[in-house]
Amino acid sequence: MKERERRLVSGNGFYVDDIELPNMAHCIFAGSPYAHARIKSIDASRALEVSGVLAVITGREVVELMDPLPATSNYGAIGWHWRIPKAYPLAVDKVRYQGEPVAAIIAEHPYIALDAAELIDIEFEQLPPISDVNQAMRPESPLVYEEWGDNIQVHLEFNFGDVDEAFKEADRVIRVSWHEGRVSGFPIESRGCIASYDRITGMLNMWSSTQAPFLGRQYISSALRLPTTKVRIVAADVGGAFGNKVNWWKDTVVGLGSIVTERPVKWVESKKEFFLTGAHNRDVTWDGEVAVRNDGSILGVKAKFLKDLGVEGTNRGSAAMGIIPACCSVANAYHLKGIRIEAYGVVTNKSPYCAYRGYGKDKGIKFMERIIQVVAHELELEPEQIRFRNFIQPDEFPYKQLSGYVYDSGDYPAVLGKVLELGEVSSWRQKQEQARKQGKYIGVGMAFSVEPAGVAAPHCIFGGLTQARVRITSDGLVEVENDQTEIGQGSNTTRAKVVANILGAKLDDIEVKRDSSDMPGSGVYSSRGAIYPTGALIRAATELKARVIKFASHFMNEEPAHIDINDSVIHSTKEPTKRMSLKELADCVYFHPGPRGLPQEMQAKHEVLLDVCASWFSPNTAQNPTSTYTTYCSGADVAVVEVDVETGAVSILKYAHVHDAGTLLDKDIVEGQIFGGIVQGIGEALSEELVYTRSGELLNTSYTDYVIPTAQDSPDIVIGHVETPSPFTELGQKGMGEAPIIGSKAAMINAIEDALSPFKIRITESPATRERVRKWISESQRRLIP
Amino acid sequence: MKVPIETKVNNKTYKLEVEARFTLLDILREELKIKSVHRGCEHGECGACTVLLSGKPVCSCLVLAPQVDGAEITTVEGLLKDKELHPLMMAFIENHAIQCGYCTPGVIMMAYYLLNNRPEFTDEELRKGIAGNLCRCTGYVHIIRAIKAAKEYKDSGNWW
Repeated sequence: MKERERRLVSGNGFYVDDIELPNMAHCIFAGSPYAHARIKSIDASRALEVSGVLAVITGREVVELMDPLPATSNYGAIGWHWRIPKAYPLAVDKVRYQGEPVAAIIAEHPYIALDAAELIDIEFEQLPPISDVNQAMRPESPLVYEEWGDNIQVHLEFNFGDVDEAFKEADRVIRVSWHEGRVSGFPIESRGCIASYDRITGMLNMWSSTQAPFLGRQYISSALRLPTTKVRIVAADVGGAFGNKVNWWKDTVVGLGSIVTERPVKWVESKKEFFLTGAHNRDVTWDGEVAVRNDGSILGVKAKFLKDLGVEGTNRGSAAMGIIPACCSVANAYHLKGIRIEAYGVVTNKSPYCAYRGYGKDKGIKFMERIIQVVAHELELEPEQIRFRNFIQPDEFPYKQLSGYVYDSGDYPAVLGKVLELGEVSSWRQKQEQARKQGKYIGVGMAFSVEPAGVAAPHCIFGGLTQARVRITSDGLVEVENDQTEIGQGSNTTRAKVVANILGAKLDDIEVKRDSSDMPGSGVYSSRGAIYPTGALIRAATELKARVIKFASHFMNEEPAHIDINDSVIHSTKEPTKRMSLKELADCVYFHPGPRGLPQEMQAKHEVLLDVCASWFSPNTAQNPTSTYTTYCSGADVAVVEVDVETGAVSILKYAHVHDAGTLLDKDIVEGQIFGGIVQGIGEALSEELVYTRSGELLNTSYTDYVIPTAQDSPDIVIGHVETPSPFTELGQKGMGEAPIIGSKAAMINAIEDALSPFKIRITESPATRERVRKWISESQRRLIP
Repeated sequence: MKVPIETKVNNKTYKLEVEARFTLLDILREELKIKSVHRGCEHGECGACTVLLSGKPVCSCLVLAPQVDGAEITTVEGLLKDKELHPLMMAFIENHAIQCGYCTPGVIMMAYYLLNNRPEFTDEELRKGIAGNLCRCTGYVHIIRAIKAAKEYKDSGNWW
């Protein structure tokens, strides 16, 4: 048990960088120094003269040897305002962001490739860069894609319920604005892969740090003009992903490098390159009005939503599509009458956008949780009173939210009630008053998140594909395989536990196979692991158990109804001495006597193996086509902070979280997800932000200036659980993993605003860096003391 | 340009000729095939490549080849006793302190150094002690728990 952990703790990892193939070469990308420029010429001849350089690939070669990168979502096909650029993984005529790869150098050693990169002569003609989304929307703005005529890649309007009626009934209308800085996950292991092409068979074998090898195969084979059967991807150990590794655009160049050089080629991305070309996220602005009654009822929301996609949001990652869950998640845990959102996905000269934990849903939820805080303040009520007043009640499930999402189950008042207790909110509020008298600024903040999980969306790569295979081997062990790629979320452990419990097998008898593109399935993102792949696994294991019992009934001469399995031993519940091990049964089924010894009826049905494949589709989405997601776990956060008004520093005095992930599959794993997510959200709230200058230069390209939380910055976290089983999954489990990063950011910002309430500060942007906090305070002082 | 170096890694002596621009990280991974030492940021920011250099924790990406000459290096492989996991490693497994595992060997080496060099510490001191090792998965909660559990192993004599 815990084989993977034993391997990793003792230095026996299988991360991409650990894999060495015979005769392997190395790939390095050379990036553009400019954010926006026309490429006038590229001359790689000096680079090619460096001893040890095998090839230099530029835009010229990719246009000839590959197809453009395929779009990961396409709603233009159904008539929406949804543009898809013609994009290649290396810049062709012009560069559109600083760091955009212009050439790939394949050499005997990465250092040789780096030396050669400096010798590539590129003549650029600089163009005016756009690094501001509002500027990009002006008609006179320079264009990222000239062929579009403007910079609006996506423009959608969402109309849920009756928003006009909501505003008619309102006692008050309150304005709320909220901007989130550009951030991303940036796991400690950057992206990377190895490609090994065999000219004779035409087979491209790859090992990749990826969340979804099957989708990767689809993407890479399409770009490289190979049949999918000629691309195979094995997921290496993944050193963190968080959504940042659901893109393969650079992998296509590594594949091409192997095809061109006929050598295995390894690419391990440097941290700087990851920051510069990586999957960025957030960078959204909401400008809205909320209709409320004086009793704290929230009736409706009207908003304009801007998302800065960077260069584009479809080909190098699935980003534009995140606008949909963002707008569909605004109603969060509450009854509302209507919501209207006008949403724009705008291109600028910034790095490509892709998924990061929360994907899009996070943005709508955080907007609503900021609304609650502002409304509470305006109405002089406590924020929990607003939440309790507007909550969907436990007896209303399944509940069809305004967006069409059908919430499976929950007890929101219980979750919030428990976190108020664990977070000792009333006692902190008393301390807050006393502290203020001593010139100390303590704030209590909270947030509530309903996290949509387990997506099946049409016209994109996230359609809800999954498959599991469970088999008993000839020596009575259990092999398990599905698309629940292990990325550090603990899926090896949960898969083994789920199957062992169903089959009655010993946990040590379960072997979870490494995920590869052989298994159809969309992989792991959007908290789908516990839903789709686990659903398929449960179906396969359940059917396998039925087959085991059928076979055992024959060999043990016992009625199926009286057979059970425990600890890998099959026994009669009537006569406990009648028993055989799974190993003995497997030997009977496979070899002694083998299929010839099975009952005729099973032979006639060709049911002669202990090997079952199954797929799964969400019963929620099947019954309710508007419910793109399957389960909706909930979480509540309380953050208590102290703000040092002299320095702007924020310290965390108390942190509590309560979660309802339905039936818990593994408590340690669920809590690991919660702790990790909370601390990432705290980083987003306080320090993390990718800062672009007006000329489109990214100022922070390392952990020194893109500050993620250390152990010293992170709080102890008190945690509690509520379990309301989901009716839409086999065991009542819910997908989880994103609510904590969503709630913690909102709770932290709300806590800081509460701490600063004597200064009458309304926070409209994040992160709350020390500089920003100081700026807010000094602006307020100027305002309050004329 | 290549430089000759002699170094003792996990109690075994090596005489090597390596590129002068190689870092200790390159030497360990490429020349000696010690893959526990992870390439994280290559700027001394993340701590994923932490090893002990003559008893002191260092980011191996910041140590150049000539500086390794005559030094003694310990990596997590050096903590194994006949392939048996060190009690500190067991504490990490038992407390669910390993998620993606990429930062783990570096954190283990830093924790090993702290536990061997500080008889007592508060939670705050422990957090400060491992603040040079970034982890993006765990929020550090289970890591802190694991190191505290390892301290109990050490105090009860289950240690080497």
